[in-house]
Amino acid sequence: MIDFVIYSVTVIAIWSVLALSLNLQFGMTGLVNFGQILPFAIGSYAAGIAASFGYPWWIGVIGGLLFAPLLSLAVILPAQRLSQDYWALITLGAAEIFRLTMLNTPSLAGGADGLNVPRFGSPVLALCIALALLVVSFFFAERVSRSPFGRMLRVIREDEVLASTLGRNPIRYQASVSVAAWMMAAAAGITYGHFSGYVAPTSFTVTETFIIWTAVIVGGPGRNIGVVIGAAVIQLLGVSSRFVAQWVDLPSDLIANLRLAAFGLILVLMFIYRPQGLIAEKREAHNVDRD
Amino acid sequence: MLQVFINSIVYASEIAVIAVGVSLSYSVLRFANFAHIQLAIVGGYLTYSFAAIPGLPMVIAVLLAAIGTGIIAVLIDVLVFSRIRGISAEGKMIVSWGVALFIRSMLSVIYGGSAKVFDVPSEVIIVQDAVFTTLDITVVVATAVLMVGLHAFLYRTRTGSALRALASNYDLAVTRGIPGERLIRLMWFLSGALAAVGGSLFAMQTRLQPSLDLVILLPVFAAVTIGGMSNVFGAVIGALVLSFAQNFLIWIDFGTLFFGEPWHIPTQFRDYIAVLALLIVLLLKSGRAAGGKR
Repeated sequence: MIDFVIYSVTVIAIWSVLALSLNLQFGMTGLVNFGQILPFAIGSYAAGIAASFGYPWWIGVIGGLLFAPLLSLAVILPAQRLSQDYWALITLGAAEIFRLTMLNTPSLAGGADGLNVPRFGSPVLALCIALALLVVSFFFAERVSRSPFGRMLRVIREDEVLASTLGRNPIRYQASVSVAAWMMAAAAGITYGHFSGYVAPTSFTVTETFIIWTAVIVGGPGRNIGVVIGAAVIQLLGVSSRFVAQWVDLPSDLIANLRLAAFGLILVLMFIYRPQGLIAEKREAHNVDRD
Repeated sequence: MLQVFINSIVYASEIAVIAVGVSLSYSVLRFANFAHIQLAIVGGYLTYSFAAIPGLPMVIAVLLAAIGTGIIAVLIDVLVFSRIRGISAEGKMIVSWGVALFIRSMLSVIYGGSAKVFDVPSEVIIVQDAVFTTLDITVVVATAVLMVGLHAFLYRTRTGSALRALASNYDLAVTRGIPGERLIRLMWFLSGALAAVGGSLFAMQTRLQPSLDLVILLPVFAAVTIGGMSNVFGAVIGALVLSFAQNFLIWIDFGTLFFGEPWHIPTQFRDYIAVLALLIVLLLKSGRAAGGKR
């Protein structure tokens, strides 16, 4: 039982970091990233590829933390001045391309079989690292949220033209946010790789991105504590459905699909009935002249 | 050469029927509907179910599936999209993913994850050095008929003109007495039905599986983007451009051209070409937006 609690909390911590990362992009800045799984996948594969070449673990960490933000710039810079529909398509396309590349290059990434990654020494160590990452990410996100920089992000989210008239360059803010958020997600991915001991293309599909989206929408876009709670709710639903599967004696893939259907339904219902999420973003007033 | 040409036309036909529905809903409601891909898969499965009825010809099965999927699309609008007309385009796009996730999972629950194969009688035809099947001809002819029909509907009938009026300026059209909500329902029915035909054709050519959506997704959205999102027949052009680009780039022997040894782009890299085309179009658009002209 205690093993299971440790496992669940570790999973929740990792997915909370992903939700915080998406919240920085979508909740605060209004960037619709439909490829949120991409930096996570990069982190995991960096850990896996470093291990398969026999390098020590920190090479994978550095590789993941460098490559993810670089790619975020490569994805966001062409998309500037375009509407969010296109930004969504580009991120979605980039994530799928990365997954297909990993699937089609067995020499580098093991193809469909994936790669083995050395596991953490003990589950407790994995838990501590995941929690430490969550705490750092959370305080970073809170700090951004409360700073003048974070307020400008919200101005950009609501009205890019207004931000420009205040003398700010929206794309620079969006690019900074992407770099920070993708590094965060890559760190979560590296932790996940060493936690699960295995990376494969099936772990990084579009569906995974939408589980993160559901967590953010449920929790409350724009509120860091909200999206952590959202991630916890969604992942608890996920792990508890295994018990339900044993209890009602249904095939596990049927339960898995019903669970995904429930996530889709929750996402839609939240948008119709409570678009501000479980914990709504606070309305703030600031005097522009004094900031 | 002829073979590549035929392959391109067949593939473009399959993509085009699905892509026009995305443009149709984008032109009226101004958001990218990702659930549209799932409607194509739903259509494929409905066709599979109807075709299992003994004695029912395949054409009737596809027609019934088209009607069924059209009704499902209208139902989705009544239950979901009609309640969120006022929210931002990003919001609608995210909701459409929620709908897509729901439909995809429910299809897996109902039909299971294993692949279904259609039992379509098909004969091989050989012209010069090109090989194709009677099914290929059916796909192309069906698409051509549907596209001509859609064009006639949009440009030759009063209802079609009203729909185009809604697409060009919704508020003005409604003020002038066009029943906006009723026509939106009709638009959903049409795009759902077209998606169902496209999905069925796609499934007959390959295999029917819930994960077929990931195969269709990128090429369809690339075709729609190349065609300019809200331009219905632009999507058809987009499908043709994309399909020819994909098939010819894979056919050309780049190795002999540059290094003296035969080398082709592996066929798994089709989707890369789709995303590359998407990126090029977006870069061009981005440049134009920067110039301040449209």
